[in-house]
Order: sequence, then structure tokens, then C-alpha cells
Amino acid sequence: MSPNLSRRDLIRLAGAAAAAPVLSACAGAPPAPSAAAPGTFTVYWNAGHDYAAYRKVIAEFEQANKVKVNLQKYQWPDLRTRLLADFASGTVPDLVEEPGGWVQEFAISGNARSLQDFVDRDGGAMGFPADWQPVTVERNSYQGKVYGVQLHLTCNTLLYNKAMLREAGLEPPSTWEEFLAAARKLTKDGVYGVALNQDHTYVWPWLIQAGVTPYDPATGEIMGPREAAVEALQFQADLVHKHKVAPVPVSSTDYSGPQKLFSAGRAAMILTGPWDLDPIRKTSPDLELGVAPPLKHRTRATQAAGVSLFVPAKAARPELSWDFVKRVTAAEVERAATAETGMLMPRKSWAELSEVRSDPVTKVFADALAIAQDPSQQVRLTGQLGKWDEQLKVMYQQVLIQNQPAAEALAAFTRTAEGFLK
Amino acid sequence: MSVRTPRTLAGRYARTAYLFLLPAILFFAAFFYLPIGNVVATSLRTGPQADQWAGLGNYADALGDPAVRHSFLVTVAFAVMVVIGSIVLGLALALALDQPLRGRVVFRVLLLVPYLTSVAIVGLLWRNILDPELGVLNRVLAGLGLPGQQWLNTAPLLTIACVTLWQSVGYTMVLFLAGLQGIPETYHEAARIDGADAWRRFWRITLPLLAPTTLFVSVMAVISGLQAFGQAYIITNGGPGDATDLSVFHIFNVAFRTRDFGYSSAQSVLLLVVIVAFTLVQLRAGRRGEVTY
Repeated sequence: MSPNLSRRDLIRLAGAAAAAPVLSACAGAPPAPSAAAPGTFTVYWNAGHDYAAYRKVIAEFEQANKVKVNLQKYQWPDLRTRLLADFASGTVPDLVEEPGGWVQEFAISGNARSLQDFVDRDGGAMGFPADWQPVTVERNSYQGKVYGVQLHLTCNTLLYNKAMLREAGLEPPSTWEEFLAAARKLTKDGVYGVALNQDHTYVWPWLIQAGVTPYDPATGEIMGPREAAVEALQFQADLVHKHKVAPVPVSSTDYSGPQKLFSAGRAAMILTGPWDLDPIRKTSPDLELGVAPPLKHRTRATQAAGVSLFVPAKAARPELSWDFVKRVTAAEVERAATAETGMLMPRKSWAELSEVRSDPVTKVFADALAIAQDPSQQVRLTGQLGKWDEQLKVMYQQVLIQNQPAAEALAAFTRTAEGFLK
Repeated sequence: MSVRTPRTLAGRYARTAYLFLLPAILFFAAFFYLPIGNVVATSLRTGPQADQWAGLGNYADALGDPAVRHSFLVTVAFAVMVVIGSIVLGLALALALDQPLRGRVVFRVLLLVPYLTSVAIVGLLWRNILDPELGVLNRVLAGLGLPGQQWLNTAPLLTIACVTLWQSVGYTMVLFLAGLQGIPETYHEAARIDGADAWRRFWRITLPLLAPTTLFVSVMAVISGLQAFGQAYIITNGGPGDATDLSVFHIFNVAFRTRDFGYSSAQSVLLLVVIVAFTLVQLRAGRRGEVTY
């Protein structure tokens, strides 16, 4: 660099460097290629759900409709960024897979198309909504109209290393007290009794089991009863910091940390969903995997989760989009996807399939679906789920990772949430 | 319409210069200045579609928002660490590799490689290295009989600042090397004849003559520090809690997670004002320290 760089040069250089990236970051994405190009059917899909069963559906769909499916795969945060940019530009895909919660959000904002006319016409033939678990219809509806169709219905339960529990002379724990006792006994020689997830969505089974209602729109109460919420949060923090039966989680966008520890034989138990079954089986084929029902505290319950499909309001060919929805949610496709990956499905008839009932892993998950609740429903309907999730993430990590007293962190969270839920 | 030819030589030079500059001007206008204008316009609106007029309401909200204040303070602390580290480490490495050492070119290249690597790759790499349970770094420490560390939990901001320095210090070193090689050797020879030792020559000759380089490095480090995003996005997700909620990451979340484009745009404009103010202050202060021999 020249030592005689002029002030004007520096100002010019610094000003350009300062202004451009910061501001352009918020200016929306560059114009996307037309998602609705004739002959091309664009679908936004989660990168982890590219199953052979769905590829077969795509091939049949392409042949039947004489289109080429452009399956664009994303991680959830990237999919959201792309989708919001698309909404702003007006160039949208034909169909979107979403991680749960977006359907109502985008129905409220006018970005999702109501599917009620299609449901009225074809619902009987495809078994919708009669054959879908009620929670999956409720979380995809807004003001009495269906805006999305559930593709997978998942829940969180207890996965354990059978060999470790057998060596310790333990049965799978059923209650929080038994869980703590087992974790204490299993923690030794570089192995943790349990590994907890840093991702805030993993807090819900604990809160539901403690009897907590996240938000009651009738009374405006947040996280009530408060003592139960504090107890649930503090119980998890104590597993890490007081009893030292779990490693301190690390904040990250990656939620596979506990699964990796479990697969590596460094944790005896984890609380997770069916999405971790495949990685565990692939990375640790010799691990004796056990699955137990969700834990019980005041009640035995867990969180209903899973992905849905929706059609953007500006999608050019909604009839074609609906045809894809019907094909990919067909009973035989559900069956094939479960056989391929172990994924759980939203149809009531799926839960009664002989292969589901006879599989020791899938059966436990399928039974748990009956006690699965959707905790974010009431918050979603306020249109403030994004802010809620941001604050919840901060609060959960302050308690779980930074060991801030649960009562203090929860009080700060509810104060903030009261502000934006008014 | 006929195009008038400038009559003077200077006019003709200027026209040629503008013609050469035209592609760059068009590029910047299309991809930077128009989006900037769009952001300023969006900052005056509100709602999920940013379609309701808000006037200066977003700016007023941002100035009174404790989360915005917190993320700004976190960002300033991060930028201070990066600026000081960039100057001290970059200069130290440049001084070391300015010596007639064998293999110095190889070292220079090795130090520059991280700078050429994407922040996403660097972030993923260090996220895995720093994992307290499965990461390489704690295994190395264990091999040395030292206790493992919770790098990203006990000092998350310092840790991501160190990762940033690891990535960027090679570039800073190259800038300082260029500055060092621009200092005439005759100054050092004269000082040696006058009996000045190496330490004195460094303080009285090298450092003052590196002032323009130091100013440039510090200005660029402040700008990149205040604009840091990938480190929080890839390595820590802003956590634990909000410990690494850097300003641009915060703005990104307001836009794409809470879906408030008007509010995020207002915060972007405020951050721009802060960066420009910092830069001008630095330039003014830096120019006072310049010397010529």
C-alpha cells in the first residue's frame, strides 16, 4: 500500500466498504429466476427430507403433468430467508415444505393460499381431514380454513443406550425423578447420563410435562403457572450445572450435538425425535438403541412437531400444487417413507399399520403422538411467533448454558413477551 | 444529437476517465446504491410486508430498544478486540516475516490462506474444533494433561474475535509488509550511524512511517468488526443467550426471523451512520499522527 494514501482515498474506500454490505444485506435478494417458469414446477424442500419415496412421487408427478420438478433443497433458516425474499419480489415457488408454524404465520400475513376449496372438493377421497390427527389439522388452519397439509408428524421422546442401562441395572426412566436417578448412575468414565439440546424448541416437552401453558390469550398469562415453568427450566439447568450429569450445551445453529454424543457412546440418554434415528443407525450401527415413552411429571406428554406443505398465495398453478400435495401425502407414500427412514406420519391409519405396531422403535413414537401437544399454537395466532422464539432462545440458553436462575430469566422473558403480545 | 468533443486536453482526459469508470459506476448503482436507497425507503415503513407508513417511528423505537443497545455494545466490544488484535498481530507477523528468513514466502502464503477462505467454511471448521466434548482442541489439551475448556460458553465473544483474527491477520500482515517495504532503508542506516538501537529505530522510524498503513488497517478493521455477521451466524447463533448478538446478526434476525423489514432497515441505516462517524473520527485522529522525514 502506498504510504501516501490520501484522505480522500481513505474516505472513499471506507465509506464504500461501510455502506454497501450493511445496507444491501437488508435490501432483499436479487431477482430470483422465475419459479413459475412454464414446464417447471418449483418446490422448496428441506435438505434432510429428500427420500427415495418422494423421488418416486416426483417422477410420477412429472409424467402425469408433463412438467419438470425443480426440487430446491434448503436448511430451514435458509429456506425462510429465501422464501421471505420471494414474497417481497412476488416470484414464488409452486409449493413449500415448512418446519411447523409458518403456515399460520403466512396465512395471517396473506402469503399463503387457502386450500379449503381443494379440501372441499377432494378431501373425502384423500381422507383429509378425517384421517389426519386433529392436532395436524388445527395447526394448519386459520379462521376456519385449511392453509396447509401436514407431511410428517413427529414428537420428542427418550432414546437410550440399552447396553449402558443394562450394565447399570436400570430400567428406562419414566418420571423426572427416575430420569435424574438414572442419569446420576450412568454418569461415569467420560460418559454423561444425558445430553440436553441447546436448541430452545427442546424445552417444550419439559414445560408441557410440568403442566405449563405457554400463552393463554383469554387471560394474557404467559408461561403459567409460573412456578411450574421455573421448576421445568431449573430441573434442566440442574442436570447440567448442579448434578453434572449432562455436558454444558454449546450455542449453535446445529441441533445434532446430543445425537453425536449419543452415537459416540458419550451419552447414555437423549431426548429427541425420529429425525435423529437415521443418523444414529448410520453412524453407530452396533449401538443398542432403545426408545421409551415421554417422561411424566405432572402429566405424561410431549410436543407435537413435524413439517407441513403449503402453497404461496401468488403461486401460478395452485391446481398443480394441490395435485403434488395429494400425491406426496398419500397413504402408500407415507408407508414407503416410514419403511425407508423411520419417519412418523400424520394419518391416523398410519399409526395402526402392522409394520408400525410391530416395530419396537416406531411403535413407541406412534403411541407418543397420541399425547403430543402443539404448544406454540396460541402464540402463532398472534402473528408474533418470530419475536417469541427469539426471546425464548435467549432465555433458555441463559438458564441452560449460562446457569442464570430460572426464575430471574423467566421473569425477564415474560416482561418482554407481554410487550409484544399485547 | 451530436456529441460535443471537449476542447481542452483536460476535458478530453476527464471524459475518457469517466468512460472507463462508467461500468463500475453502473455496477455500484445497480447493486449497492439502489438497494441502499431501497433500505432507506423501507426504514420509513412497517408491517410484515413493510407497506405501512411509519415515518421516523422505527428510528425512535431502535434508539430506545434495549436489545438494539445490547447488540451494539457487543459489536463495539468485538470490533475493539479485532482492531487491536489486527494491528498488534499483523504488525508483529509483518516485522517477523520482513526479516531475511528461509521459507518466509511459504509462511506468508500460509498466513494468507485463511483470509482467502469463506467465513462459512472458517466458521464450521472452528465450530467443530472448539466443541468442548468432541472438538480437537480439547483433545489436544487433554493430551497435554490440561483441563478442557468451554471456549464458546465462558468467553464466546473473545473466542469468535480470535477466530476472526485467525482468518484476517494474514491480510493485515500483507498490508504492513507493504508498508514496511515502502520505508527507505537509508533512514535506518542513518539512525544506526547515530547509534540508535533496534527498539529505538522501531519507535522513532518504523512505527511513525507506518502511520498511514496503521490508519488504513484500523479503519478497515473497525468497519469489518462493526459489520461482522458470519461468525455469529455460523459459530454461535448469537448465543449463548445473547452474548454474541452482533449488530448485523441482530438486524438479520429482525428482518428474516421476526419479519420486520422496516425496523431492520432503520437499524441498518443507524449502523451505517455509526460506522461512517467512527471512520471519520479515526481519519481525523490518524492524520494528526502522520509524520514525514
